[in-house]
Amino acid sequence: MKDQLAKHLVQGLKNAGINFVTYLPETRLSQIIPLIQDYPEMELIAVASEQEAVTIAAGATLGGKQAAVYMENTGIYVSSYSLLTVGKQLGVPILLVAGYLGGVPDQRNSFLYATIGSHTIPVLQGLGIEYMVLEDGDRLEEKIKDAVRAANALRGPFALLFAGEFSL
Amino acid sequence: MIRHECLKLLAAKMTDQLVVTSQSGQRIEWSHLSRHEGNLLVGMMGCAVGVGMGLALALPHRKVIVLDSDGSVLLSLFNLATLGNLRPKNLVIFVFDNGVYSGSRISYPTATAGNTDLEAMARGAGIRQTLTIRDIETFKNEALRVLEQNELAFYVCKVEESLMHREIPRPNTDLAENKYTFVRYLERTEGKPIPFIGRG
Repeated sequence: MKDQLAKHLVQGLKNAGINFVTYLPETRLSQIIPLIQDYPEMELIAVASEQEAVTIAAGATLGGKQAAVYMENTGIYVSSYSLLTVGKQLGVPILLVAGYLGGVPDQRNSFLYATIGSHTIPVLQGLGIEYMVLEDGDRLEEKIKDAVRAANALRGPFALLFAGEFSL
Repeated sequence: MIRHECLKLLAAKMTDQLVVTSQSGQRIEWSHLSRHEGNLLVGMMGCAVGVGMGLALALPHRKVIVLDSDGSVLLSLFNLATLGNLRPKNLVIFVFDNGVYSGSRISYPTATAGNTDLEAMARGAGIRQTLTIRDIETFKNEALRVLEQNELAFYVCKVEESLMHREIPRPNTDLAENKYTFVRYLERTEGKPIPFIGRG
């Protein structure tokens, strides 16, 4: 991902009101980590598993934060239990910012990730989690705001899957 | 040591603390002992420590107490590593360890009935204030004292298997109802709006 696009993405999260981010790093979007660290108003929490990334973000949301989880799409599989029980059943808005590894628009797609990528959208659909696939920086800030508004209105997780230019 | 006796002592100390419970017998017992609006009765195993950690980080000036079980902690052991590094000072975790999966109909041993020591695991993960409590006097003296301290604590309370939770009716509040009571309480006591509350 070009530096300018990474900055645009982090600026979009900030402008959408995101002020608490839990994360487990991955390869496609990892440039955003130091950029988020540059904003003291965005609390960045490193975790050991995506499952707790979701539960910690949920607790922060209940405590008044606007929380996001940054992870690889494999984290959606790992955290599906907490996404369903805390995110959906309890009804807690959380923005999921996920690298869409192995998805068709992933520019670094390979035999290693294709199977992982092909199940991401069916799993989100199975969990009843709405999503948007982003492939370029066009209207990026507006799309992130739309996603946060949708998560709050639906009182549940909303996934942004990043591929295309974000995966270069 | 009987869990209900510990919870009774704890309930008497509650003022404005936030209490998060996981899905297990203590959730049912706690809901009868405390009707405080700051109780969040999370209805799933393995999620209470994470939710409590998020609350503690979002509200560093509020004391957050997690009431958890051995089975639930075993389900989310990665929490220990994250706790050991973040060390939120306003978080106290009580793990009521009865050594069994004691649901409404089952009673099978957990790993702590064998060789597993949760306190040692927590200490190894980087949590400094840990303790294993085996009697009610120690609970009264140590566990209640920790509420006044400003340091992350992880206390394993070894309790007998009790079937009391099978006889007490389950809480009659819906999960969503409990969540809204909790966040409205926070809105009121923190004086700031919760972003996701609808505007009608």
